Amino acid sequence: MGIKSMNCTRRNFLIGGSTTLFLTGFLSKQSFGNIKKNNLVIISLRGGMDGLTAVPVLGDKRLKKLRRELILEETLKLNSDFALHPKLEIFHQLWKENKAAFVHATNIPYTGRSHFDGQNLMETGGHVPYKEKTGWLGRGLLSSNIIGEGLAISLPMPLLLRGVPQNNNFFPSPDYVKTKLIDYIYDEFREDHNALIRSTFDTIKKRPISMQIATDSNDRNKLAKEAAKQLKDSNGPRVAVFELDGFDTHAAQGGVDGAHADELEEVNNIVEILHRNLGEVFNDTLIVTLTEFGRTIKQNGGYGTEHGYGSAILMAGGLLKKAQVYTDWPGLKKRELFEGRDLNSTIDARAVYNSAMAVCFNKDPEFLKREVFWGDNLPDLTNELFKV
Amino acid sequence: MYNSFYRKVGFGIGINDKIPADPLKWATDQLDKIPELLWTGWIPSEKEMRIKYGEWIYGDRKVLRKKYKNDKNAYRKAKDKLSIQTGERFFELNEHAIRHYQTKYSNQPVFERFWLFWGNHFAISEKDSLADFSTGPYQREIIRPNMIKTFEDMVQEVTRSWCMIHHLDNSESVGPNSKRGIESRDTINENHARELLELHTVSPEAGYTQDDVINLAYIMTGWGHKWNNKVLETGDVWFDQDKHQKGEKIVLGKKYKNEGKRELSKVIHDLSNHPQCIKFVSTKLCRHFITDNPTKDMVDPVIKAWTNSNGNLIKIHKAVIQQAYKNNNFTYKFQLPEVWIMQLSRIFDLNLPISSKKMNYEFKFEPSNRQEQLTWYLNEVGHSPYRPKQPNGWSDYEVDWISPELLLRRLWFASNEIPNHVKIENYSHSFMFLCLERNFDDYERMTSMIEDLKINKITKNDLEKIYGIICNLPWVLKA
Repeated sequence: MGIKSMNCTRRNFLIGGSTTLFLTGFLSKQSFGNIKKNNLVIISLRGGMDGLTAVPVLGDKRLKKLRRELILEETLKLNSDFALHPKLEIFHQLWKENKAAFVHATNIPYTGRSHFDGQNLMETGGHVPYKEKTGWLGRGLLSSNIIGEGLAISLPMPLLLRGVPQNNNFFPSPDYVKTKLIDYIYDEFREDHNALIRSTFDTIKKRPISMQIATDSNDRNKLAKEAAKQLKDSNGPRVAVFELDGFDTHAAQGGVDGAHADELEEVNNIVEILHRNLGEVFNDTLIVTLTEFGRTIKQNGGYGTEHGYGSAILMAGGLLKKAQVYTDWPGLKKRELFEGRDLNSTIDARAVYNSAMAVCFNKDPEFLKREVFWGDNLPDLTNELFKV
Repeated sequence: MYNSFYRKVGFGIGINDKIPADPLKWATDQLDKIPELLWTGWIPSEKEMRIKYGEWIYGDRKVLRKKYKNDKNAYRKAKDKLSIQTGERFFELNEHAIRHYQTKYSNQPVFERFWLFWGNHFAISEKDSLADFSTGPYQREIIRPNMIKTFEDMVQEVTRSWCMIHHLDNSESVGPNSKRGIESRDTINENHARELLELHTVSPEAGYTQDDVINLAYIMTGWGHKWNNKVLETGDVWFDQDKHQKGEKIVLGKKYKNEGKRELSKVIHDLSNHPQCIKFVSTKLCRHFITDNPTKDMVDPVIKAWTNSNGNLIKIHKAVIQQAYKNNNFTYKFQLPEVWIMQLSRIFDLNLPISSKKMNYEFKFEPSNRQEQLTWYLNEVGHSPYRPKQPNGWSDYEVDWISPELLLRRLWFASNEIPNHVKIENYSHSFMFLCLERNFDDYERMTSMIEDLKINKITKNDLEKIYGIICNLPWVLKA
């Protein structure tokens, strides 16, 4: 029993059960016949991922001046304009195979700089914090009629996945749980009002043995490995949601080896494990990151950065069209910055997610835009970014 | 058939509790006065905790971040040390113990259930270091004393509390036409105003508009912490006229003339007594205690008690209890993980929480495993009470609490951890059967399930199976 793991576990407790899913009916798992299963993996990067640290722009003197202590001494070169943080090594390797790409100067349309409002909006895809009670991914799955194929690597069901019933999650308890105990009690859940618990027990009982015997949700590598295993299974989930936090680096953000680098390393780690364990299925997979905002251009007194606006989306997987940094670069001159301090966002990140869902769920982006994002003006980027 | 009622509105009947002759009277008699806190250990004041909070953020932000700006490892180490010195890692553990001690031993468990409800209605979500220092004291000093007053009294005090103001950023809200607004071009932060409308009082069903939110935010400008260089944002709440938006405001069709700090009391008075507020909160109370989908027949008597008493919380609470009693035998309310743990602890007389003596903290070393245990459990079952992720608090809907892992955590707690908390003298069939008989209408089914296990003499190993099964039966998960 690992009591000492508490603080570590607390980091992982990211979204609570505070919103409501108004779906109480149970739909049976849909059969997809011979339609190929495309996997969509979302990695939430909480705290505000610094796009300029992850995917630095090359040769910008102003950036060098404003970030004297945060500049990366070494980077992995992508093209003539952009490079990669050295901790994002797997992305660099995949870039060479046309299996990594980046969207830069992008964010959800939220400029308030509050983690809480921002994280709520990055999951709901809405405009007003706390107004929507379901996540864009949940709505996307529901409207694509994909039920029971979401897997969250977290204890509560993330807001992002809410809106569609029968999702599975994986975040094993500190010790082995004897699921055989369910056999003793299962028959007592006959009554209608216990149907949800009963069906959740069914989901548990159907879990593969590797998920059943797992313990210790503090071992992220193990979680990622299991997720890969499930995604690889043609009858397994086709959507997985990972949670990372700690990107809120107000101090000692550092360069190649700072606090932000540690977090990027964790992203790299998940992608590396997925890549290694998915094998061929990596070609039918798309991994995208999600964050609430980027960070200020200028370093602060603690050699960190403050909450900003524009950031970057890191992408990997065989469903990408090609290796590219897709951006409408706004520039970093004072007048080009958002409110004179942040990288601007010139691409609504939701357009990327809408297009990603369209590709993975085999749906028309226009249809999804209406069903998921209220018909907001989100350009179709499927041709630009993904293999259609 | 009223055994489940003791859990529906309380924590069950403990082994040392008297079985009430009249369950309804038992419950309604508990609501007229505020029970003393029973914890014999340290109960720090909100103000005291705010000073500690200040020491923590000042030490981190003004000292360590500068001192170690080039060395993340040294920075982390120094921050760890500071956290031990300021008690940052300890106070929440102590607050959980105070809370669970109360729900285990209070003679007014029904009152305590309402305490949990209001603390979650006016939730402080996980933000900055609030849960580490201030949310517990806020529950004790702001929520609790107002539970025998009116709903309006509670809203008035909650809205001006340091904890809520910090939580919802009202200190950062500046009227654009105020002295400060004109000088700095700062403007309003709508957060607190929006939540006051949406979560605390009238709810979106009142049909308020963005203009209403902005006007309410204008009214609230000026209410914030008194900032200075040393205490940073942990200063007392005051009204800063220099930040207050001048001019008339209109909220939900009602005009509020320009009268500075008096505007807030007036608008809270109107919001707290708004028919939509009464309906929203009455429904939420019924949902919390009775069923996810309360009917009009359940809610109407609560609304009536509210309007007849001008929002007297004692009267409102009694009306909720009456409905819970009346509907007891055909409603099944899924019990939230923390409440379930509290109920199991009371019913089976578990060694949980630990004694106040063992909770002693010297500010020299990290808290011990034993001290962290309860908090760790609450985390692991997914329900750390002072850390909801959003300002709307923990959900009352079962659908939010039933995921594969969340159900597995219940099995884990019951089978792997409860055995560590059963007193040795209670390793017996007779004790178990007695507890079940006192608390469950289905106790015969339960005792036969235990008998089916064919255990002769109960040892610690057997407890795993017994508690794992018993605590996860539908009528234990629900009440």
